Amino acid sequence: MLLDFNRLGWIRYLLIASGVLVGIFLLLPIVLIVALSFGSSQWLQFPPPAWTLKWYRQLFADPDWIASFVASLEVAVTVTVLSTLLGFMASIGLTRGRFPGRGFLRALFLTPMILPVVVLAVALYALFLRLHLNGTFAGFVIAHLVVALPFAVISISNALERFDTAIEDAAVLCGAGRLEAMMRVTVPAIHLGLFGAAIFSFLASWDEVVVAVFMASPDLQTLPVRIFATLRQDLSPVIAAASALLVGATALMMLLATFLGKDKTS
Amino acid sequence: MTAVPTIADRKPVPRSRRTSGLGPVVPALAFLLLFFVVPVLALLLRSLLEPQPGLQNYAEIFGSTTYLRVFANTFLVAAIVTAVTLVLAFPVAWLLAIAPHRWSRLLFAVIVLSMWTNLLARTYAWMVLLQRTGIINKMLMQLGLIAQPLPLINNLAGVTIGMTYIMLPFMILTLHATMRSLDPSIFRAASLCGASRWQVFARVFLPLVGSGVAAGVLMVFVMSLGYFVTPALLGGTSNMMLAELIAQLVQSLLNWGLAGAAAVVLLVVCLGIYAVQYRYFGFGTAGR
Repeated sequence: MLLDFNRLGWIRYLLIASGVLVGIFLLLPIVLIVALSFGSSQWLQFPPPAWTLKWYRQLFADPDWIASFVASLEVAVTVTVLSTLLGFMASIGLTRGRFPGRGFLRALFLTPMILPVVVLAVALYALFLRLHLNGTFAGFVIAHLVVALPFAVISISNALERFDTAIEDAAVLCGAGRLEAMMRVTVPAIHLGLFGAAIFSFLASWDEVVVAVFMASPDLQTLPVRIFATLRQDLSPVIAAASALLVGATALMMLLATFLGKDKTS
Repeated sequence: MTAVPTIADRKPVPRSRRTSGLGPVVPALAFLLLFFVVPVLALLLRSLLEPQPGLQNYAEIFGSTTYLRVFANTFLVAAIVTAVTLVLAFPVAWLLAIAPHRWSRLLFAVIVLSMWTNLLARTYAWMVLLQRTGIINKMLMQLGLIAQPLPLINNLAGVTIGMTYIMLPFMILTLHATMRSLDPSIFRAASLCGASRWQVFARVFLPLVGSGVAAGVLMVFVMSLGYFVTPALLGGTSNMMLAELIAQLVQSLLNWGLAGAAAVVLLVVCLGIYAVQYRYFGFGTAGR
């Protein structure tokens, strides 16, 4: 009865009300950003007095915003490739290997996820000061990779655990080499796990703020760093435009993930 | 460690040596050691060695009212955010578990969209909403509920609203995972045995979702303790949180020893809470 919607009585209305309220609460900022980015008022009036594209024009006319957008994209793509590759290899060892300390290693691979990011950021900042990696492309990639790798390991390990290794062994018995069997049997079989790893790694890098704020130099800033720095000075609607583009990208990613999920069931 | 399979031992493929073992883990492991384990340990060491060896950094951190106030504020904010989040998330997770499929899917999409939307974009939205001349204040004044704009930003209220917003999806999804796995026939059995609705709720439902509640509460509390962006943008100078203090000690004051000590305290508290969670509830529902 407590799990039966139709027999819940008046509690039902309480639940519906809270669902609607929380739904509005969660949607409000997202809707607001998109509305403000098309609004004509510089003072962030809502509802806007008129609609315009001028903030987007301003955004795309500013080489600094473009540069940080490109930097974010380059870093994220590099991180995605490295994270999926390293994550795949590590997952193979972690799910199939037989060696002492495997459980400990598994935990180690997930620790960057539960550690407060600011601790990681400060620690890497100190190391990079010595290695002169602050404000460099390599520095950003390394720092974001530490954050992204656990997501890849989780996603790929889960897929590998569901995959029956007997199929790969069968390929070997049929004459395929170990590597060939893995590339032509296992990799296609776990492709959803690999896609998941890639998507999560990309998002982890693309959205990373805290580590990036420490890594950034005047010459090289990712998009979140520029937004963070700009936010500390003013709330210009140009940021609304940049944020709205981020919202759009997220929605696209979600559609992609849903599409991949549907692919699995059919 | 790496056993190269020969033709002879290939045939039945004995489970114990079916794969190479540690080999494929090495690149990722080397990377993590170099750029995660070593720097974090080095930071912790600096708290004991700089400016000279000893515990003076810890003495300073626990001896100064300024730093103690930051600790107190950090725990206060984390506790408030966790409590508010739980109250808001509980009915929503319940609704998600039982509502007709179409509605629960819609609500689910909203939750996931909000969770995946860029953190800074969402924080920016709250900065706009909560300003003195912001939409919320304007609306309340137009409705005649307040005469003066409420101070909603650069203070505890701002941080609480902003962080509750960020943490809500995590709590909802954790609670939902537990509630979805419940078997409805248990409740039917309880009511057939004569339990009133209130009794079923208090003595069957609550204990069963208890582990999910604990997991969600601990996760949100720990994540709130170490949060940086939202408190930095929505909070004020008088209610600084620990992560911001660490950043400031490093960036403006270059005091690595003290920053290291503060980081150790944060780390120990977080890992301690995770250890409790692991000991009693496992990591199953810990989300991201």
